[in-house]
Amino acid sequence: MSAFLIRRLLRFVVVCIGVSIVTFSILHASGDPVALIMPEAPEADRAKLREALGLSDPLPTQFVRFVTNAARGEFGKSFFYREPAFGLVIERMPTTLALTCLAVTLALAVALPVGIYSAVRRNTVTDHAATVVVFLGQSMPVFWIGIMLMLLFAVQWRLLPVSGWDSWSSVVLPSVTLGAFTTPLFMRIIRSSMLEVINLDYVRTARAKGLSEWLVICRHALRNAALPIVTVIGLQFGLLLGGAVLTETVFAVPGVGRLLVRAIVQLDFPIVQAGVFLLAIIIVSVNFLVDVLYVYLNPTIRLR
Amino acid sequence: MKRWLPGLLVLTLAALVAVPIGAAAQGKDTLTVALPSHAPTLDPHMHFERVGILVNINMFDSLLHRTAKLEFEPSLALSWKALNDTTWEFKLRKGVKFHDGSTMTAEDVKFSFDRVLEPGKEQKKSPQYGNVRAIKEVKIVNADTIHLITDKPFPLLLERVVFFPIVPKKHIEKVGEEAFGSTAAIGTGPWKLVEWKRDQHIRLEAFDGHWRGKPAFKYVVFRAIPEVATAVAELKTGGVDIIRNVNADLMPDIKNHPQTGISTTPILRVHYISLDMRSAPFDKKAARQAANYAIDKQAMIQKMMAGLGRQVATVVQPAAFGHDSSVPPYPYDPKKAKELLAQAGYPNGVDITLHSSSVDWRPHFEALGQMLTEVGLRTTVKMWDPGPAWNKFFQAEGKATNGQYGNWGNYSVFDADAVLHPLYHTEPGGWIGKHYARVEGLDKLIDEARSSVDQPKRKQIYARIQSMIREEAPSVFLYTQNDTLGISKKVAYEARPDEWLWLFAAKPKN
Repeated sequence: MSAFLIRRLLRFVVVCIGVSIVTFSILHASGDPVALIMPEAPEADRAKLREALGLSDPLPTQFVRFVTNAARGEFGKSFFYREPAFGLVIERMPTTLALTCLAVTLALAVALPVGIYSAVRRNTVTDHAATVVVFLGQSMPVFWIGIMLMLLFAVQWRLLPVSGWDSWSSVVLPSVTLGAFTTPLFMRIIRSSMLEVINLDYVRTARAKGLSEWLVICRHALRNAALPIVTVIGLQFGLLLGGAVLTETVFAVPGVGRLLVRAIVQLDFPIVQAGVFLLAIIIVSVNFLVDVLYVYLNPTIRLR
Repeated sequence: MKRWLPGLLVLTLAALVAVPIGAAAQGKDTLTVALPSHAPTLDPHMHFERVGILVNINMFDSLLHRTAKLEFEPSLALSWKALNDTTWEFKLRKGVKFHDGSTMTAEDVKFSFDRVLEPGKEQKKSPQYGNVRAIKEVKIVNADTIHLITDKPFPLLLERVVFFPIVPKKHIEKVGEEAFGSTAAIGTGPWKLVEWKRDQHIRLEAFDGHWRGKPAFKYVVFRAIPEVATAVAELKTGGVDIIRNVNADLMPDIKNHPQTGISTTPILRVHYISLDMRSAPFDKKAARQAANYAIDKQAMIQKMMAGLGRQVATVVQPAAFGHDSSVPPYPYDPKKAKELLAQAGYPNGVDITLHSSSVDWRPHFEALGQMLTEVGLRTTVKMWDPGPAWNKFFQAEGKATNGQYGNWGNYSVFDADAVLHPLYHTEPGGWIGKHYARVEGLDKLIDEARSSVDQPKRKQIYARIQSMIREEAPSVFLYTQNDTLGISKKVAYEARPDEWLWLFAAKPKN
């Protein structure tokens, strides 16, 4: 187990270094942030600002400075906000995580029963209907779902607020949007992994023992089918954080995604670097947790 | 399944904790405005963001105010006059209160200018420094008289102090600049700060001691809504009362909705294509004129801007001081354009590349390219993100790029200098002109007009400049645009030509 943990930890470090190299170089290759901070200012003023921000140093010097500081959680001051970038990102992280977690919960709440049902009642009308929904769901971009839901529930029927993040009712639409974006994939995975186990001998044995169908499915079949589902949730988490970027923009949610989008447009290096770094750490951590959970759920791995 | 439940519960609980509770009340006495974003700070001197200025003007006063008709009006200064070419005298209004109850003094005025000018300092921290750099000294003459002394004649001084908020010296020295920019922003304006939740809303409340009296709305809220479709949906459902920058394609929808309407006005933003006069084909005057004849400006305005725009003869537009209405716009004449192009030595046309970073205007840029192509200026249009554009294109000194499509907002300064100097003056510090424009004698004329405070004389010089640039055609002169607001039927408010949201003028409608 400890060797396993150490291997994962090493991978964690390698990913972090990789991410910082990539963000550092991509951003510096894409343009001059000073031109964006003071778009209509004289060149002399720009040169001064460039000097003050350390952007006139050679690239390797800038990178070394960046890495040493990043190791201490210091990504420098945001060019735009003139405040420590790390703090700005951390400040918005709970909102994004809340949105993502709510979306996963909602998606599972829908995908689990429907996925199981269509596996058990394979090739029935319900199963086919579910498949169609999956297809539709996967082909709709998340911002489109968001705007459609907004038009229906907020503009047409006036049931919920259009946007914002200041009351419970305003949380519903963004969470449902992001949940809807991930539900189809969950559903498909649950259905297929249930199908794999449902005809195995031990399930038949369980039935033969006279257990109720409910117990057979939930206690016996699902536990073994759960492994791929857990993995997919872990992988989806990264995608969901990406989806959160669009959802946050559409619904004016004050999260990390929106901060990042703006920072990218403005070439606000420190925020992009801090944000990408932190998100990478979260994704790697979630995957790490999933690995641990995997071991817990599947004792055969522990034996090896 | 049972073992998952705790996990799910934890996730949900974590989510619950992070979501704030408490709905925002949207009462009749509240005016809500949607902005695409918030500025990084509420400190009116430490940013250069239009969205920040729109909030600041409702919390702070400047020495002068500008009416919706663009006339100067007393604000914190009751009267003003030029004592000589370089000294302006302002008489201050007496008994003006800051939001904390303290009285505004000449000390506060001097302090406000000095924190931007930072005399003696090499690095200036305010991005607005460039606007007022001509001011050499701020002198307190007595308790209610100050002198602004410029290093040379500076005819734009009054324009520059229309947005130059006066901030409280003692308060800032006590709370510090950081707190002033975030939680403790205090001015003399109609509304005072209640709460700023970044990326969510800025909430203001009417200030009882304001010298103009009470505004019609007790509360003002500026919500940050990045997505246009969302802002429109909020407007229709009453979540916000005013949205800005409504595009032509959204106008009918908002106009025809029972709860909303639009208010539109020409603004100080002119569209143009800067032509690179240093290289072929635009080193030839005939080719530059051909490009001007090739554009059907009226069609662009009608088809792509819902008729809301006005063609211009040069980049100096009708609303600006110095505009000469006797200079006519280039008519649309493709035949003449082809003739001129042949005269320039391109009877079979020529390939050119134009660049732009005005992402919002991409369809216009493409349509313009098409019109140029039709007369033989076969155009490739290249669209850039603003960041990369700077390196790859604007700063590419010496690299022939033929031209750039863009628009210029004059810094909301209603004077010909605010467009001529940045676009055409070859001295370092211009915008694109530094690279592209090479009109003989133009620099000298711009300098001459700039260094005089004798308005009739300046007007004459600008008239000469306009005839000159129309003939020399360093740019394709296009049109001005409108700014269009979407407004709730419950609110009476009119769009202003300076794009300000001066909410003191807003009234509830029944």
